[in-house]
Amino acid sequence: MADSPQDPENGVLDLFSAVPPSGVAAESSAMATGDKADADPEADGPRVWSVAEVNRAVREHLEAGFSGIWVSGEVSNWKRAGSGHCYFSLRDDSAELRCVLWRSDAARLPMDPDDGMEVRLLGDLTLYEARGAFQMRARKLEAAGEDGLWRLAFERLREKLEGEGLLSPDRKRRLPRFPRTVGVVTSTTGAALRDILSVLHRRAPWTRVLVRNARVQGEGAAKEIADGIRFFAATGDIDVLIVGRGGGSVEDLWSFNDEGVARAIAASPIPVVSAVGHEVDVTISDLVADLRAPTPSAAAEAVVPEAETLRGQLGAVRTRLRRALQSGVDARRRRLADGPRRLARAIQARIRPLEHRTETAHRRLGAGIRSVLSDRGRRIRVQERLGRAMDVRIRSRRDQLTGLAGRLQALSPLATLERGYAIPLSSDGHVLRRVEEFSPGVPFHLRVHDGTVEARVDALHPNDDTEDPDDGRGRRDE
Amino acid sequence: MSDDATQPGLETRLQRLEQILVKLEAEELDLEDALALFEEGIGHVREAEKTLSTAALRVEEVLGEGVTRPLEGSPGTTAGATGRVDS
Repeated sequence: MADSPQDPENGVLDLFSAVPPSGVAAESSAMATGDKADADPEADGPRVWSVAEVNRAVREHLEAGFSGIWVSGEVSNWKRAGSGHCYFSLRDDSAELRCVLWRSDAARLPMDPDDGMEVRLLGDLTLYEARGAFQMRARKLEAAGEDGLWRLAFERLREKLEGEGLLSPDRKRRLPRFPRTVGVVTSTTGAALRDILSVLHRRAPWTRVLVRNARVQGEGAAKEIADGIRFFAATGDIDVLIVGRGGGSVEDLWSFNDEGVARAIAASPIPVVSAVGHEVDVTISDLVADLRAPTPSAAAEAVVPEAETLRGQLGAVRTRLRRALQSGVDARRRRLADGPRRLARAIQARIRPLEHRTETAHRRLGAGIRSVLSDRGRRIRVQERLGRAMDVRIRSRRDQLTGLAGRLQALSPLATLERGYAIPLSSDGHVLRRVEEFSPGVPFHLRVHDGTVEARVDALHPNDDTEDPDDGRGRRDE
Repeated sequence: MSDDATQPGLETRLQRLEQILVKLEAEELDLEDALALFEEGIGHVREAEKTLSTAALRVEEVLGEGVTRPLEGSPGTTAGATGRVDS
């Protein structure tokens, strides 16, 4: 305690005017006086105390009367000495109390309180006799609210690591699906290891487990954990690493909120699963790790597959292999069998468009020919009809002619001639009908029934009445 | 079982099996190649199944770099002398 910078001015002067808890003070003061009451104080004059005696008596008195009390106030002048002991004052508006927190207790603090931070201390009042310095020897320091300082330390570290990107989801690596070797950093005597091994044995007994022992709570635990992680990171014998411990108080789990541990996890080239405490406990290790498992057992389940599941998968793979090979064989066989048919189909496919074109052309040509033919047909039919019409006409004419011939026959002058008539004809064959067509002395022919007679005009004797020669024939018919 | 270290692990085998299945199921292979792949695949399945049938977890405490000792009292711990870590 040589480094205790105690301020003598803070010494205890009016000790006895202070109001210690009743009874305790009376008893201890009785003891203090009792020790020294071996002589009659009045006999040798006033009782004179040595400084050491006074300080010792006061210290004993204080410690007896003010043990295990809570005091609240603001932290000021916090100083952590090289020895690890912490010195500071607790103050309020009107008073100040010198305090000390020994190293063993200070080591359990998640962080140093800030100046001005509202805290409460559990401890004992005492006197540093060498300097007569009154002080509170704190055993516990808590920030306002439950776990205040822990929460604050957690948040600060979280923010710091987050700022560096160490908590980013992008950093999370996939765990190997089938690790051969699993590393574990935890206490070899802890429940966490038992749980992990039991799960690994049940699910994946082919796994090899390498355990690196580390204390998981108390002073130095964080360093051992971080060392364990770095050990595996350096040797690289494992496929995946589980870091963790079983449940405990916030303080018990604190090593896993240690910056060194967090950084060791972040730097590990091997994927890390963090499994600290129970489901509700979240630590910085959990946040930095590639996977946060709610419990150590869950961590073990997360890192290895279940033998039964794997067996099922392998069975399925075997079936698929057989099926794939078989279907390959079948496909080839089918192709062989299909060869000719496929060839025919291919040829057909080539031919079909040609056929189509041919058909189209054929159809068009046919239509053309038909239309030409039908034109001609029409013409032929017209001709036929024409012909038939002509025939009809011709026939009717012929009939007409036949009729006429009959009638002509009936009217023929030759028939008349048979009855004795004769027809005079000029030398050039004209029928001589009128007197004036004759000239005396001029020869003419007489056509009689059975021949021609040559004649000569002697005299002309015209009549007074004459007839129209054109109508002679018709009029004679009647 | 230090021979394990020279053998492909489950991860490797299952990855290879996936490749084989993809090839076998999707690709037009010569019958000979298909058969070779099939046989390789079945071999991996058999070896993997053998691995799965391992009876007991091996648990070792690592005392220092390359130095381990069997951890007593672990479930299914196999007896084994302290030795060097593989690889």
